[in-house]
Amino acid sequence: MLRAILKEAWISIASYKLRTFLTMLGIMIGVAAVVMMVSAGQAVQNRITQTFASMGSNLILIGPAELVSGGVRGGRGKPSVTVADVAALKTLKDVETSSYNMGAAVQAVYGSSNYGVSVRGTNPDFLNVNNWEIDDGIMFTDKDVKAAKPYVVIGQTIVDELFGLQNPIGKTLRLKGKPFTVIGTLKAKGDGLMGDDQDNIVIMPSTTLRQRLEGSDRPEFVNIAFVKATSEDKMESVAKRVEYMLRTRHRLKDGVKNDFTVRLMTEMVEKVRSVGFILSALLAAIASISLIVGSIGIMNMMLVSVTERTREIGTRKALGAPNSWIMAQFLAESILISFIGSFIGMVFGVVFSQIGGYIMNYDVPISIWSVIVSVTVAVVVGIVSGLMPALKAMRLNPIDALRYQ
Amino acid sequence: MAENKKVIEVKHVYKTYFMDGGTSQEVLKDINFTITSGEFVAIMGPSGSGKSTMMNILGCLDKPTSGKYILDGYNIDDKDDNELAKIRGKTIGFVFQNFNLMMKRTIADNVSLPLIYQNIGEKERYKRAVEMLKKVGLNGYQNRVPSQISGGMQQRVAIARALINNPAIIFADEPTGNLDSKTSDEIMDLFTELNQQGITIVLVTHEDDVADFATRMIKISDGHKVYDGLRKAYSKEKEIKC
Repeated sequence: MLRAILKEAWISIASYKLRTFLTMLGIMIGVAAVVMMVSAGQAVQNRITQTFASMGSNLILIGPAELVSGGVRGGRGKPSVTVADVAALKTLKDVETSSYNMGAAVQAVYGSSNYGVSVRGTNPDFLNVNNWEIDDGIMFTDKDVKAAKPYVVIGQTIVDELFGLQNPIGKTLRLKGKPFTVIGTLKAKGDGLMGDDQDNIVIMPSTTLRQRLEGSDRPEFVNIAFVKATSEDKMESVAKRVEYMLRTRHRLKDGVKNDFTVRLMTEMVEKVRSVGFILSALLAAIASISLIVGSIGIMNMMLVSVTERTREIGTRKALGAPNSWIMAQFLAESILISFIGSFIGMVFGVVFSQIGGYIMNYDVPISIWSVIVSVTVAVVVGIVSGLMPALKAMRLNPIDALRYQ
Repeated sequence: MAENKKVIEVKHVYKTYFMDGGTSQEVLKDINFTITSGEFVAIMGPSGSGKSTMMNILGCLDKPTSGKYILDGYNIDDKDDNELAKIRGKTIGFVFQNFNLMMKRTIADNVSLPLIYQNIGEKERYKRAVEMLKKVGLNGYQNRVPSQISGGMQQRVAIARALINNPAIIFADEPTGNLDSKTSDEIMDLFTELNQQGITIVLVTHEDDVADFATRMIKISDGHKVYDGLRKAYSKEKEIKC
């Protein structure tokens, strides 16, 4: 009987091809939009997670204090953590290593090529802390830091932009007109969170940055300090020790606020991820408005269909169709429309999100959720929007329906 | 053939319509008659006489306000909508004035429609539709759609549809109302032929020459049965309120 009902429903919707197609289009667009938005949201969340992972886990970040006045955050305060602080932090219990960077944006020149680069002055632990790996050559050592050697280790973007096919190791590039020898290159990391190029990086000893690049008028404060805990579950206790040590070293009295901030990478990942989740939920909610519009389209078409086919309904009833059959047939029609529409919409949604991901160089996951959601939506939308018209058809009095002109 | 089997028994049937605002209108008043298997009956009457209401009750599309109606052994007044639908599907064949075919469906689909509701498989439905089309003179038309054939042929399709579930009785409501006189005669000849094969036919019409094809005539006027007898023996003078 179910087969017969589905077949009757199918023939009915197939006999009004254009109308059925246009009605389906509403659901198709709705489902495709939801699938694409959910995929986009997931892609962004994945990218966030990956980026944080590439920055290093078990990481505690120490930066300048936040300026707060009257409960409103007012940006960052002056840097207060020194290179000596960072070196001291390394001696704390459960700390694997510590590092820091001082940044500068300068133009790098090699031969006739030049490129705007981001320079970080740091110590050798920078690699371990931030999950960088040496691709070729070597990293500078603590000795080099002490001696403020004019050594640089460069990211892949700089390799490509300045040296092209040449091997950069041993070559000399100029920053602010001063010569620096390339002693190593870093393995590529790819784009960062905001599409920024993580491989556009030149690292050098912090002493070199202060003495040779910027001149010694630059204070010895770091922009950001990193402390790497030995494991994730030690992070909380390490953070407490870091805070205690820095307060002691900065001679802060009880009741005085920290002149620095301590953040756990895991907390930041969670925060950003939750923002990403809210964002994708919001996108999906907006997209589902088009689903609602689509289902109104189905309801509208089915109501017109019931009115148009009043005599057919009367005839079917006179010829022995029970009320349940009439209702089932009209419900089946709306479910079929929304099911087929959802399926096509889902396929389009997946295909378009893959194409979009490919163009924007994002890894877009195909989630099983979008399939489950679209099928569920299809059945629910079909039932909800078909119910009223089907009930209307069912309740038609056969005598009146047969007389309907 | 059980010539004397009662197909229809109508006993003291009243039908009253209750309007909004408390008024009511008595459309049928104390109607009694019996139709036995193999009869060809014309129900006649001017418009507004109640003959359509009578037909709706006989066709199990409506129920009497009071009185008894027994169709092929089923007592109609204690049945609900779905039971009535079942009875209609099994025991009644309908032929309508405007054919009521599904214009976008094939003729075979139209003819076999009642069988869907009896859970008969697709192949069997098609086979029986083809056979039934032969019976009404439309051999080979099964795969066309109604818009490709004439009105007379469409009514033949409707008759084939009425016959397909082997009904105890056929109700035809003004079956020639939309046809020209030549085609009307052809359709009425088909009914006569079917009746001669033993099929019970009840016809509602207001046209005398259509009624002439029937053997028995029941006339309703103003909600009362005023004549019940041989069609040939009818004359205006014999009408009484019975």
